[in-house]
Amino acid sequence: MTKHSFRNTIFGLIVLILLIILPLVLSEVQLNIAIEIAFFSLFAVSYNLLLGYGGLLSFGHAAYFGTGAYFTVFACQFIAGMPLPLAILIGGLGGGVMAAIVGFFCVRLSGTYFALLTLAFNQLIYSIALKWRSLTGGDDGIGFDKPNIHLPLVGNVDLFVTSNVYYVTLMVVIISIGLLWFVLRTPYGNTIACIKDNEERAEFIGYNVFRSKLGLFAMAGFFAGIAGSLFVIFAEFVSLNAIGLPMSTEILFMTFIGGTGSLLGPVLGAGVYIYFTEWVSDITENWEFFLGLLFVILILYANKGLISLIPIRLKVFWNKKTPVGGER
Amino acid sequence: MDAYIMQGMHGLVYGMLLFLVTSGLTLVFGMMGVLNIAHAAFYMVGAYFAYTLVAWTGNFWICLILVPIGVGLIGAFVERVLLRKVHAFGHAPELMLTFGIFYILAEVVKWTWGTYPLNVQPPDVLAGSIPFAGATYPIYRLFILLISAIVLFILAFIMQKTRIGITVRAAVFDNEMVDILGTNVQAVFLGVFCIGSALAGLAGVVAAPFLTTYPGMGLEILIDAFVVIVIGGFGSVWGALLAALMIGELQSFGIMFIPQLALVFQFLLMAVVLVLRPQGLFGETA
Repeated sequence: MTKHSFRNTIFGLIVLILLIILPLVLSEVQLNIAIEIAFFSLFAVSYNLLLGYGGLLSFGHAAYFGTGAYFTVFACQFIAGMPLPLAILIGGLGGGVMAAIVGFFCVRLSGTYFALLTLAFNQLIYSIALKWRSLTGGDDGIGFDKPNIHLPLVGNVDLFVTSNVYYVTLMVVIISIGLLWFVLRTPYGNTIACIKDNEERAEFIGYNVFRSKLGLFAMAGFFAGIAGSLFVIFAEFVSLNAIGLPMSTEILFMTFIGGTGSLLGPVLGAGVYIYFTEWVSDITENWEFFLGLLFVILILYANKGLISLIPIRLKVFWNKKTPVGGER
Repeated sequence: MDAYIMQGMHGLVYGMLLFLVTSGLTLVFGMMGVLNIAHAAFYMVGAYFAYTLVAWTGNFWICLILVPIGVGLIGAFVERVLLRKVHAFGHAPELMLTFGIFYILAEVVKWTWGTYPLNVQPPDVLAGSIPFAGATYPIYRLFILLISAIVLFILAFIMQKTRIGITVRAAVFDNEMVDILGTNVQAVFLGVFCIGSALAGLAGVVAAPFLTTYPGMGLEILIDAFVVIVIGGFGSVWGALLAALMIGELQSFGIMFIPQLALVFQFLLMAVVLVLRPQGLFGETA
């Protein structure tokens, strides 16, 4: 075990313990914010697969988040006795399959064309959700009657207790991000980095660029769908907000604010974004103005996001873990 | 039969308005490779400026001159001070920057004018209706057609017949080469961006009495405008015209026949065009 990975393990354990004792310290309101940060972190990390790792600017990532949320609700609604973990998985699969279908058309393109096509598909999916009232409830949305979780040793976990929701969310988010961390370290992760740096060359060496990018897109959709499921477990309600364009841009903001160059940058972004909006919206009604201002300033002066402003010594913990740097 | 003509006219009017918005957008994209999302904000700001100017002076006509100048200046500021800085970073940051500016301007609009829809009265001359094809038709809509047609002709004339137009077309084709040949491409960029913004402002003025002036109007037209330039082909004014008319009619008749799916059609059309012909109907190369 090298010095670095030892320090990382210690650091990771400390963070984990802090996260676990968090509900004991925080008030109900703050705990709700923490849950929000948790599932948005996963959403942002999944978005960063496209923006940071794939170099693909998408304006339609909410489509898969929303699909995941709706699918989880449908799963519990139509299939009696659906266990919650399976419903979360179904949400993820819904997002992943939707992303695979859309990606089939999108990933051949790049740059602005890609951005526009993802936007168009987001609008398309949104319009369908809006018009298919009998299924989605249209503008009104649908409530989610969440089942409890039965664990072998613990027994029934009551999901109407906020701290339980927190632990479920935290666990799913950590497992998901861990999976992604692992996937990005495999040769597949290197292929993605190679394609991002020089697509023509990757093609020439013999990688199947289309399939790799499609896989990345579907994977991003899958984890966005998982994040959507977590959202609906938290909110107990899903409406068109979850699937609309504003959500797509919100996730772009979070990811970019945190930094696209590393796996955990978007986590920082989600935290800062949600705290920032909570804090500024207390002070002024026009908080979105300051958010836009922050965004523009970051693009102009620190386009690797807030995480790039953290001093190098600290950054060792955050950045060095992933071999696939989303460096621009 | 009359109903069809009417619906066709509505589509034509909206299509021409859409063209007015899109022409500037597509020019900027063709030249600089920047899809200027802030364009929709310029359009919205134009409409709100018109509201304020009409409230102050009671004169709609001066808006047609003053507002495009004002919005054009904002556009020049954005290009010179902000956009040029991120140009070196590539297209994605540029796109995100214009998106950030859109976001900020939309907030400024809400801040200044509130979130309620505002009404701009057209001047008395244009307020009524005239007999048309066996029914009556609002004069103001015909006025929109007139203004858009005038802009189209001026634009076509400048692009095809003048030296500036030749430079711009050459820069759309290959701006590095134009730069090497001794033209100050930076200045041309600034000029085109300024004119493009002014056109967005003009479209805002024209749209203000026709559509409601409210903070969501930017996003609404933005999405239609994107669809138009994708279908028409990036950088092509004629493509923008054709595609704008297509979208106008598609929406108009779509709402008449299948209201449920009217929203979906244009995105389907866009997706089909992007898949089959990524460079758009009139585009050069993708």
